[in-house]
Amino acid sequence: MRYWLIRLGSIALAIGGCLLLDMLVTGQVPGVNKVDDFGQRLVVLAGLYVTLAVSLNLINGITGQFSIGHAAFYQVGAYTTGFLAVTYFDRSGLPGPVWVIGMMLISAVAASIAGLVVGLPSLRLRGDYLAIVTLGFGEIIRILVQNSDKIGGSYGMTVRPKFQYIWLVWLLAITCIAVCRNLLKTAHGLPFLAVREDEIASSAMGVNVTRVKVTAFVLGSAFAGAAGALLAHFEAFISPSMFTMDVSFIILTMVVLGGTGSITGSAIAAVLLFYLPEKLRDMAPVSGAGLVAGVIGVLAAVAGIKWLISNYHGSRLNRGIFVVCSIVAGVVIQIVFSMVLRNVPALAATQFEAAKLRMVIFAATLIILMLVRPQGVFAHHEFSWSWVQRLLGRRAPTKEVAA
Amino acid sequence: MTRNRFSLFAATAMLAMALVGCNSDNKSASNASGGGTSNGSAPNFEPGFDTTKPDPNMIPLGLVASQNGELRPWGVDSVNGALLAVKEFNDAGGVNGKKVQLLIGDSASKAEQGKTAAEKLMSDGVIGLLGEVASGITAQMALAAKDKGIPVVAIGATRVDLTDISNRVFRVCYTDDFQGPVMAKFAYEELGLRNVALMTDKKQPYSTGLSNSFRNYFKKLGGTVVDEQFYESGQTQFNGQLTNLKAKNPDGVFLSGYFNEVGPIVRQASDAGINAKYMGGDGWDSSEILTSGGKAILGSYFCNHYNNEETRPEVKEFLDKWKAAFGGVPATTMGALAYDAAKLACESLKKAPAATADALNAAISETVDFPGVSGSITLKGMNGNPPKRALVVRLAESGQVFEKAYEVGDLKK
Amino acid sequence: MDLANLVAALDFSTLPQQLVNGILLGAIYALIALGYTRVYGVLRLINFAHGEVFMLGAYVSLFVSYAMGFGPGSTRDSTWINLVIMLLSSMLVCGIVGVLIELFAYRPMRSQARIASLITAIGVSLLLQYGGALILPNSPPPSINERVNPIQGTLEMSLVGPDAGLLKQADEAKIAFTQAEDRYKAQSALDPKAEQASTKGLRDEKNAADRTYNNLQRRLDNSGVRLRVPWGQVIILGTTIVLMLMLTYLVLYTSVGRAMRAVSHDFDSASLMGVNVNRIVTFTFLIGSMLAGAGAMMNATFIGTPLTTFYGLQPGVKAFVAAVLGGIGNIPGAVLGGLLMGVAETTVVWLGYSSYRDAIAFIILIVVLLFRPGGLMGSNKVEKV
Repeated sequence: MRYWLIRLGSIALAIGGCLLLDMLVTGQVPGVNKVDDFGQRLVVLAGLYVTLAVSLNLINGITGQFSIGHAAFYQVGAYTTGFLAVTYFDRSGLPGPVWVIGMMLISAVAASIAGLVVGLPSLRLRGDYLAIVTLGFGEIIRILVQNSDKIGGSYGMTVRPKFQYIWLVWLLAITCIAVCRNLLKTAHGLPFLAVREDEIASSAMGVNVTRVKVTAFVLGSAFAGAAGALLAHFEAFISPSMFTMDVSFIILTMVVLGGTGSITGSAIAAVLLFYLPEKLRDMAPVSGAGLVAGVIGVLAAVAGIKWLISNYHGSRLNRGIFVVCSIVAGVVIQIVFSMVLRNVPALAATQFEAAKLRMVIFAATLIILMLVRPQGVFAHHEFSWSWVQRLLGRRAPTKEVAA
Repeated sequence: MTRNRFSLFAATAMLAMALVGCNSDNKSASNASGGGTSNGSAPNFEPGFDTTKPDPNMIPLGLVASQNGELRPWGVDSVNGALLAVKEFNDAGGVNGKKVQLLIGDSASKAEQGKTAAEKLMSDGVIGLLGEVASGITAQMALAAKDKGIPVVAIGATRVDLTDISNRVFRVCYTDDFQGPVMAKFAYEELGLRNVALMTDKKQPYSTGLSNSFRNYFKKLGGTVVDEQFYESGQTQFNGQLTNLKAKNPDGVFLSGYFNEVGPIVRQASDAGINAKYMGGDGWDSSEILTSGGKAILGSYFCNHYNNEETRPEVKEFLDKWKAAFGGVPATTMGALAYDAAKLACESLKKAPAATADALNAAISETVDFPGVSGSITLKGMNGNPPKRALVVRLAESGQVFEKAYEVGDLKK
Repeated sequence: MDLANLVAALDFSTLPQQLVNGILLGAIYALIALGYTRVYGVLRLINFAHGEVFMLGAYVSLFVSYAMGFGPGSTRDSTWINLVIMLLSSMLVCGIVGVLIELFAYRPMRSQARIASLITAIGVSLLLQYGGALILPNSPPPSINERVNPIQGTLEMSLVGPDAGLLKQADEAKIAFTQAEDRYKAQSALDPKAEQASTKGLRDEKNAADRTYNNLQRRLDNSGVRLRVPWGQVIILGTTIVLMLMLTYLVLYTSVGRAMRAVSHDFDSASLMGVNVNRIVTFTFLIGSMLAGAGAMMNATFIGTPLTTFYGLQPGVKAFVAAVLGGIGNIPGAVLGGLLMGVAETTVVWLGYSSYRDAIAFIILIVVLLFRPGGLMGSNKVEKV
């Protein structure tokens, strides 16, 4: 009884939370200002990226199948919805939310069929071979769409009508997280982890490796397809250029940076990595001197920390102090250099605009994070309340030991 | 475990520092030199306002341009041209003393990024948007602006159906429905071509649209399109497609793609032994096409918006201003078109009763005979597509040589 | 999509030329794939930044050609020595860059999960693309002046001679054209004011004769079966084969090669057996990046694509596919994979589906991997526990 209460309670909480978020963002809550349209768009896209990252994490992180073509499933979902909406929506007479949820389901099925097509070769391939097949599949889908004039070709297609259900986007993200979490928490998830750790050993232990791999691909791509359906209705316009290889790489980066296998990590990294380039749009131009000094300072600090990680074995406290010291040293070096370099006319005169630096900083952040913390920000860990308690200094309940 | 948490902290600190590092030294100069640093333009041009942060005392206009990615040459010229126009307008007194501020967003040559940039600019409160050069990106911008009623003035997007997105989309250039037929007519009548083959960049909406316009009109004139081959931007070798073309004996080849691929295609076509005239649209417009095309591209024809050699006073005046601000001449025609677009928007602001999107939209749609660098612009009753002249230019070693001008009426005859 | 129609529409006279085109196209893929395959063979790392090293090599060739006085608009004549200088400097700089990337980005990651190094590789690749755009000239995108290449022109071979009947017709048409031209010239000399009705008629007549003649000439040109290969592409093919042979020799018959194979086989045992693993890995990156530099210089010089910092993206992906297709880690496999992809692409074009050219490489890849999961020449070892 208690079990069901908690279950139903959390479902109600999720739906309620999403509706509240929607109302907050669109300014329906009295006393709260409406978020502008750019902000709304970011909230929606962040939600979609969370879904994409968490669903790729299921394939990549949890099951250990190296897939780098996730944008393909996203695209299949978006185009399925786009085509059906343009052709049948007017005739169907359904109310908006019902239609969109229906489309999410249909797109999920379509994308999972695509996932099955990719998942089948994965039975024979592993590692990098599988990676290149998934990458290739993404390209094939993109070229097929580009050559189909019925769905707009390279120009893209306008999807009518436009539905902007922010709550649905985040509900999908939460559902995706919940499915993955429950999979891991129950006995159903153990085979997935076993396949990731050692395929041969797990099959010797009676795990049906084929079924696990295909399930992972089908589930992961289904969520990506549903996200595609929401994207199509939100943007009201889809084109092949929205689903290029770069998108797949970004999603993969989110998964790895968050910590391969960690749902929490994927979700948080998705939000952060999505917002980072957008926030960098506001950055003011930087002079050449500042840029060079910044690079030198960051390099110095990274080198210091890197050295500490591998060579210093003292107590935690001392190490923390040393890290802080090396960061402070980096900042000092940076300030000194920028003072000196400002007198070099060639460097002081050049200006680098935010638009051009945006992606450079993004790339540099990727490299630095990977160098300093290769296992991803969250590594294999998940968020849990006991972790919060421990962080606050309280003893965790003994139950935690078993987990 | 301890090591993990420790490196987690370090990672976060690094991230923060990377951001701080890039923000620390920007007080010395807060203006963007649109010319960028890599193409060597003079950095002494000061627009007189910040191009990223909205200033409440100014009237904000937005510009979306490809400051990164493969369309960067056009993006850079767009930024320079628009800044030049806005600065000039402000120096002349602005709108009753109130100055115009141009906020710039980067589309990175990607449609989706263009949409995000447009949304960002609109959330910063711009009342009008300028840009883009590529049709695919402009479509996304226009869709984003549609719901908010923000008028969009496209700089060089020629795809026909763009202005159908809403009645608040305008452009300062001609459409593919004009330049395609112009080139078809030129090919048929002036060059005497009858059997033309097409090379289309399947990845670019611009290219597929232009190929269609050309094909339809050329057929209407009585010519034959003997073959159409496709490629995707990014490819470097085209021998396969060209061998197919050669077997069809074309006396002309129409290349509707962008300059990055057109140069190598023409060079390889002449290596493959194709003996034909090469033609294209305004996507050819770049000073570098002569190097990438080599000897083979000399004597080819393409359609352009205006020409630096023209003797009209507007052109002369514009080139002088450009030279004073950035040095040299604009590398592409997008400098002039962006200048026209920005100037048109500013002048419309002056006519508008209030600084709002609706008033601006109304004022722009009432434009009659605006004297632009690229020719006179009339938008009243035109659904956003100004009737403009098109110039056919020939590529010679010295650059673009003016060949023939087509006025709007010329196609009807 | 009627098969009979499809076959009927095919032009078999162009097939030999198309196959040659395919091999030439594949040569470039193969050259870049050699670098991929070597790095992968030793480190088991997909070096995503390889395409960007290729891009840097193209820029180096550009700068060297500028330094030698072959800027845009230059009319100087070149010798092959200039090409060699460009080739060597491009290889040198690429080699150094490759080693630096390995040293700073990949070496610290070596003990970590492979996916982490992969993300670092993506990061390096993005950094070079966008960071390069800050410094390198790319607006407008420059390209190497074709005058730097002294070996212009094409190698022509005639397989089937031209049609005799057409030859005769063409000769007749040429005479008719000369006559029409003379008549027009005579008339316009009499009447210098052009656009007169009489001259206009003659001009049209002359133009029509010109058209007939040119059309016949083109048909004549196509009536035989001929192979045309630009000399530049012959050089690319030749270099690829020579480099492949040298690399095979290096790997199979030298002590460095033996060490490379040992490292590739088992990292730890190799180091226990006295192999300096770090030096071997550095050497591998040096060789792989130099190959990319060589490919970049030749591609940029002989093909003439304008350079942007995204120049290496497409060739990089294609070459990676070629390497996997041939069996990644295998040197002849990379060349075979590259050539196969080139031929497949031109065959698709020949069939009339040029818009699917970029898809075919991946379709072949998937099909091949389904039947030979280790690639065409890769080993398909049974995994031991």
